Amino acid sequence: MAERVVLACLGLLFGGMAWIALGYSLRDALGPGAGFFPFWLGALGLALSLALLVQSWRGGSIAEAPLALLPRGEGARRALALLASLAVAALLFQPAGFRLTMLFFSAGLLFALGVRRPIVIALFALASSFGLFHVFYYWLQVPLPIGLLGI
Amino acid sequence: MDTLQHLVSGFAAALSPAYLTYALAGCALGTLIGVLPGLGPAAGTAILIPLTFKLDPTGAIIMLSAIYYGAMYGGTITSVLINVPGEAASVVTCIDGHQMAKQGRGGTALGIAAIGSFVGGIVATVALVVVAPPLAKLALRFGPPEFFALMLFGLCLVSGLAGRSMLAALLMTVLGLLLAMIGIDPVRGAPRFAFDVPDLYDGIGFIPVVMGLFGISEILLAAEAPALAAVRTRLSRLLPSREEWRRSIGAIWRGTGIGFFLGLIPGIGSIVPTFMAYVAEKRLSKTPERFGRGAIEGVAAPESANNAYANAAMIPFLTLGIPSSPTIAVLMGAFIINGITPGPFLFQERPDLVWAVIASFFVGNVILLALNLPLVGLWAKLLEVRFEYLAVGVLLFCLVGAYSLQQSIFDVWVMIAFGVVGYVFRKLELPLAPLVLGLILGSPIEKSLRTSLEMSGGDYSIFLTRPLCVGLLIASSVVLIGSALKLAPKTLREA
Amino acid sequence: MIKALAKVAVSAAALLAACVAVAQQFPERPIQLMVAFPAGGSTDVGARVVASIAEKILGKPMVVINRGGAGGQVGWTEMARQKPDGYYLGYINLPATNTVILDPERKANFGADAFVPIINQVLDPGIVWVRADSPYKTLKDLVDAAKKSPNTIRTATTGILSDDHLAILMLEEAAPGAIFRIVHLAGGADQLKEILGGNVDVAFDNVGSIAPRVRSGELRALAVMDHQRSKFLPDVPTMKEVGYPSVISSSTRGIAAPRGVPPAVLKTLEAALRKAMEDPEHIQKLESAGLAIKIMVGEEYAKYYRETHEQAKKYTEWAKSRAHK
Repeated sequence: MAERVVLACLGLLFGGMAWIALGYSLRDALGPGAGFFPFWLGALGLALSLALLVQSWRGGSIAEAPLALLPRGEGARRALALLASLAVAALLFQPAGFRLTMLFFSAGLLFALGVRRPIVIALFALASSFGLFHVFYYWLQVPLPIGLLGI
Repeated sequence: MDTLQHLVSGFAAALSPAYLTYALAGCALGTLIGVLPGLGPAAGTAILIPLTFKLDPTGAIIMLSAIYYGAMYGGTITSVLINVPGEAASVVTCIDGHQMAKQGRGGTALGIAAIGSFVGGIVATVALVVVAPPLAKLALRFGPPEFFALMLFGLCLVSGLAGRSMLAALLMTVLGLLLAMIGIDPVRGAPRFAFDVPDLYDGIGFIPVVMGLFGISEILLAAEAPALAAVRTRLSRLLPSREEWRRSIGAIWRGTGIGFFLGLIPGIGSIVPTFMAYVAEKRLSKTPERFGRGAIEGVAAPESANNAYANAAMIPFLTLGIPSSPTIAVLMGAFIINGITPGPFLFQERPDLVWAVIASFFVGNVILLALNLPLVGLWAKLLEVRFEYLAVGVLLFCLVGAYSLQQSIFDVWVMIAFGVVGYVFRKLELPLAPLVLGLILGSPIEKSLRTSLEMSGGDYSIFLTRPLCVGLLIASSVVLIGSALKLAPKTLREA
Repeated sequence: MIKALAKVAVSAAALLAACVAVAQQFPERPIQLMVAFPAGGSTDVGARVVASIAEKILGKPMVVINRGGAGGQVGWTEMARQKPDGYYLGYINLPATNTVILDPERKANFGADAFVPIINQVLDPGIVWVRADSPYKTLKDLVDAAKKSPNTIRTATTGILSDDHLAILMLEEAAPGAIFRIVHLAGGADQLKEILGGNVDVAFDNVGSIAPRVRSGELRALAVMDHQRSKFLPDVPTMKEVGYPSVISSSTRGIAAPRGVPPAVLKTLEAALRKAMEDPEHIQKLESAGLAIKIMVGEEYAKYYRETHEQAKKYTEWAKSRAHK
């Protein structure tokens, strides 16, 4: 089931890109235009997606031992916690600045994953935020964002 | 013999305390740069250029070159341990290397990678001494049509990466090729599929995509697994078993050969040789199903190819002054700032410098081996850390890495998105390697086709009138037909 | 009345003091200097040298960051979006910046007025070069051949709508009947590779990229597209000397800031950067790299910026409409 959904989405993606590619010219004075390869690749991709969908409908599957796409229980909670923290960190990265974001990211995620040792969490969080910042910003000269609070 | 004399005096210089120290420092820094996320060898080398202002030109170049090939090795460490390619070329090592790590053989993987890299580097450097100028001239015959044919050949190898389902591998390849077409096109010089998002004008970044597809997806998958027991590595398993040695030796030689010859051709890039070495190994193996599940040849071949490539790429650079890759272009900038112009006259004008540098390549490869082999055990211990800490550590690593590439938060989002995509694909057993191959080859194939047609004024016969090109096209057809014949009955049965 | 006047006077004085204070305090933290091309290129080399000297003058680090991609469009797009506080500067490369703005297909979301030019560093004149054993010994040989067999001579540029591309069109305009088969390569190193390999016949590039090789005899230069001969290649005639005085083309690299930076800050930056560029170490390093320094500041640079824009407009339109681009 999950396989079919993903294949359908891919098919839509391929079809969409082929459609947009038509807007870039297919031929030009010297040969294939900007839209040539994207169009044909999109068409090919669509055909392949359909072929695999048909195969799936007939009972076959790509995977040898299809795994459940969406995890259950404890595993799901952990995976979601990871993903959510990543997204939140990416959102806060620039407005809150590197150090604050990483501080809360590390501490929060460790806590969400079940770690309950405050000293370890604190040390980890400090090293990963202020420590890393120092290494990258001052030693490696890689500008990491400083947020609105000036941190 | 003149060359021998030069080489001896070169060694004398390279082994002097000062230059030895620079080589050592370069190797250490380079490995660190390779390990650190996002900071690729090019950027890392560029940052360290001002450091070398204080050194004499020979010393500066010895150090910068050491950083260059040191970084090649550093990228392997993260590929094996946490499935995050430290730099682009290490992608292929992830495939089998990380599987080995998960089976408790991470130390072995790193060890064989170090040894393979060493062999690759030394052989390439020996070849540099012996056959450099004539070979380099020969490699110049590789023009845009030959490039096109070679990349096409590389694409045909995708069949060697397919697992159970050929159709799925093809699907992934097409996806990769299409994703590569986002960005400025070689025809009009204008953005395609960019939807007015400036961050897309140059395309989807390769490194954020693979960091997500491999690294983030790995952590997401691991989070689910009920047994979060850490992997324990016994010290005795740090060394390859006799069986593994036997299998690796052939892989190392073949990888070295492939990496070396491709390194002579400017502009190939470091990823294509590693893929080719991997696929060649898989095809030649009597048990190809082991690949992708922790086959040691799957690490030995690409790693040897990688280092052989890196050292061989110095040949067109030193003999003709043509930089093969962005990192070498940075090196060239460093040369120029120091008042040295690489090119055919360099050997005659500054033999002392050139031979000292070449000798230091030998020395550097030895240093790398000596530095890294003992540390392998230490690195492998990293995997014994509890999952909670490892997961947060890896994610931090990836976040900082993706951001530091271009100081762009967009890259971070790309990485996260492809992390989810990788997770889904892996669950459905849609193979990732063909996707990566398509992503790498899409741009060069289109560009070289376009440039070839500009050269010929629109005449397609240019591909059929150049012997090297024709040869490669025939090779591609052979591979295609061979794969089709082998797999057609199986695929038809699937459908 | 007196009270009101006094209030105004005090406020004015405070405002003036604040402006002066801002200018005096600037910079308070590191400044980023953006190069819209990958590390190692000639713009990057020049940037790193000037940054390492300027930061000593300004007292705070000046960090070079590379934002390569889309022929510079990625970097300039980013710069146009930055806060105009003086802490983010960037290199503009004329006419590349101009063509990106002028090419409608590029859909640049910034215009010529998005940047305020501060100071120009390098002016690298265009040059026409071939392999040392090429049949073309002078520019006349080349033009005659191009007229005799139009659209057969494979002529390399460093990119679509690069200054080299526009220069080829300028030559075609000045020598009616001469048509070149234009091949867009990926930069100076790519040109070198293809010329040496015999895949293209002639290349249009800039002096800085190949001066040492012409001097060593590995390559032959046919003409320089400047008003006077290049001091790095005194034996190479100018376009004027070979009969095409209208073909003047160069690639300039200069530092600009997003429009809106306070004038006091601009003055500080201009002074510091100028001092850095006049420093003997800067001159020596750039000259050994073959880069000709031409410092232009203030109105002179602004005027140059506008003029280049006009010239680029004409040839960009022609390039887009030409069949064999």
